Amino acid sequence: MADNTDIKKGAVIRHNNDLFVVTDFQFVNPGKGVAFTKTKLKGIGSGKGMEITYKSGESIDMVTVYRKTMQFLYATGDTYSFMDKESYETIEVDIDIVGDQAKYLKEGMDVVMSTHEGIPVAMELPKKISYRVTVSPDAVKGDSTSGNVTKMIELENGLVVHAPIFIKEGEEIYVYTEDSGYAGRVTE
Amino acid sequence: MSQVINIATKRNIIEARARIVYHIRQFFMSEGVLEITAPTMIQYPGQEPNLEAMSVDLRDYTGQMYTAYLHTSPEYTLKKCVAAGYGDVYSMGPAFRNNESFGGVHNPEFTMLEWYRTAANMYAIMDDIDALFAQISEDIPDSMCAKPCRRLHMREVWQQYVGVDLDAYLTVASLFALVSERGYTASIHDSYEALFYTIFVQEIEPHLGVDVPTIVHHYPAPMAALSALSSDDPRYAERFELYIGGVELANAFTELTDATEQLSRLQAEQKERQARGMSQYDIDTSFVDAVGQLPTCAGIALGVDRLVQVLLGCKNIDDVLVLPASQIFKS
Repeated sequence: MADNTDIKKGAVIRHNNDLFVVTDFQFVNPGKGVAFTKTKLKGIGSGKGMEITYKSGESIDMVTVYRKTMQFLYATGDTYSFMDKESYETIEVDIDIVGDQAKYLKEGMDVVMSTHEGIPVAMELPKKISYRVTVSPDAVKGDSTSGNVTKMIELENGLVVHAPIFIKEGEEIYVYTEDSGYAGRVTE
Repeated sequence: MSQVINIATKRNIIEARARIVYHIRQFFMSEGVLEITAPTMIQYPGQEPNLEAMSVDLRDYTGQMYTAYLHTSPEYTLKKCVAAGYGDVYSMGPAFRNNESFGGVHNPEFTMLEWYRTAANMYAIMDDIDALFAQISEDIPDSMCAKPCRRLHMREVWQQYVGVDLDAYLTVASLFALVSERGYTASIHDSYEALFYTIFVQEIEPHLGVDVPTIVHHYPAPMAALSALSSDDPRYAERFELYIGGVELANAFTELTDATEQLSRLQAEQKERQARGMSQYDIDTSFVDAVGQLPTCAGIALGVDRLVQVLLGCKNIDDVLVLPASQIFKS
C-alpha cells in the first residue's frame, strides 16, 4: 500500500471504488498537531472534482499508471493532439488533462503522458523547456519597477516570461515549467 | 543568473515584507517587550511527535563532537528567559524543520515570531494580535489584517461545520465512533489528536479565516500540548490557533507552569515519537526546571513568512522568500 509520501500530480487513487487522478496536492505539518497531505482529485471518466486529506502514514490505494513519452503535435480548440512515440498513433487529449500546462506546449516537444487502461489521465512536462525569443523590447535602464534587471519577453509559443534585460530576439532560452522562471540561455 | 532574475521579480513583495517585519519590531518595542536573540543551534530539540529537527555537525577546536540540532522553535530558550525573571519577551528569527515540503505553506527554514506575556492568559495574546494587526494594516491597507479577529470556541466551530456537540466527543472511544461514522478510515489505536484532525482538517479548517482572521480557542484537554487546562472547564485546554484563509498562522497557549506535569507530557511525547519511528531526543531537563519556575504566562508562535504570504495574497510561501529552498536546492 502507498502512503501520503507517494502522492504526486498525475498519480491515480482508488477511492470508494472510483478512480481519481491527483491534480494538485499540498503537504501540511502543523507544529502541534499531525501532518497531512491535502489532495485535489478529479474523477476519471466523471471529471468530478473533490478534495481528500490524508494523514501521514495513512495507507492509500494507488493504481499503477503507464507512463509513455508522447510528442505534442497541435491543438484544435480544447483538444490537444499527441503522437505516441512507440506506436506512432495519434491520440487526442482534452484540455481537462492538459490544464494550465497548455501554455508551455510547443509543437514537436516531448511530454510524459500517464495512461490508465489506455486512457490518458495526466500529462507531465520536462522540468525546463527551451524556446526561441520572438519579442524582446529593448529595455531602458531605469524603466523597470522590478530592480532594473528584468523585462517581459514573448516566446515562440506566445508564453510571456520575465528575463534578463540582455536577452535579444532570436535567442533561445530555458524556462522552468513549474513557475515560468527564467532558467538560462541555451548554449550549444 | 536565473536566481537573480527570480529575486528581481519579487522586489515589491520583499519590500512589503520588510515593512511588516519593521512593524512587528516596532510594536513589541513600544509595548516594552524585550527582544531575545535565541540560539538557533541547541542540544535538545522539542519532543513534538510530528517534528523532525535538523542535526548539525558541531565540533570545537580539538575536533571533539557535540550533539547539536537547529531548533524547531525558540520556545525552550524564551521560557528559560521568562523563568529567569525577564518578564515579557519575544524573538523573531529563523527556525528549521526537517522532512517538510519545499514550498506551498512550508519552507525548511522559516521565520518564527514567538512572544510571551507574564501575568497573563491567552486572551492577552489575542489582544496583542488585534493590536499588532491594526498597526500593520495602517501600512498595508485592504489586507486581511485590517479587520479584528473573530474569536470562536472550538465547540462553536464543530457545531457550525460538523453539526455535533464536541462535548460528547472528548474521548478516543467516542471520537473514533464519530470519525468512522463519517466514513473516514481510522483505528481505535489512533491518538485523540489524530482522530480530531481527521475531521478538523477536512471539514473545518478550509472555512476558517476566509473573510476575517479567525481565532479558534479552547482545544480538548488531550490536545493541551504545553498549555494549561481551563480553570472554568478542565475538559478543555487554554490553547488557540489563528487562521487566515484556511492557513494556520499561529498556535498559542496559557502556558503550563507545572514541572511534573510538563515532564510527564514530554515523556509521553517521547514514547509517541518512538512508536512513529521518529528521531529520538533526550529531554531538556533544564527546560523542565524552567517550567516549574514560570510565572503565570501566555505565549504564541507565529509563522512570519505565512503571515506575509496571506497578507499580500501570495499563493506560495516561496513567493515571499528571496531564495526559497525549492530554488536553492533545485537540481
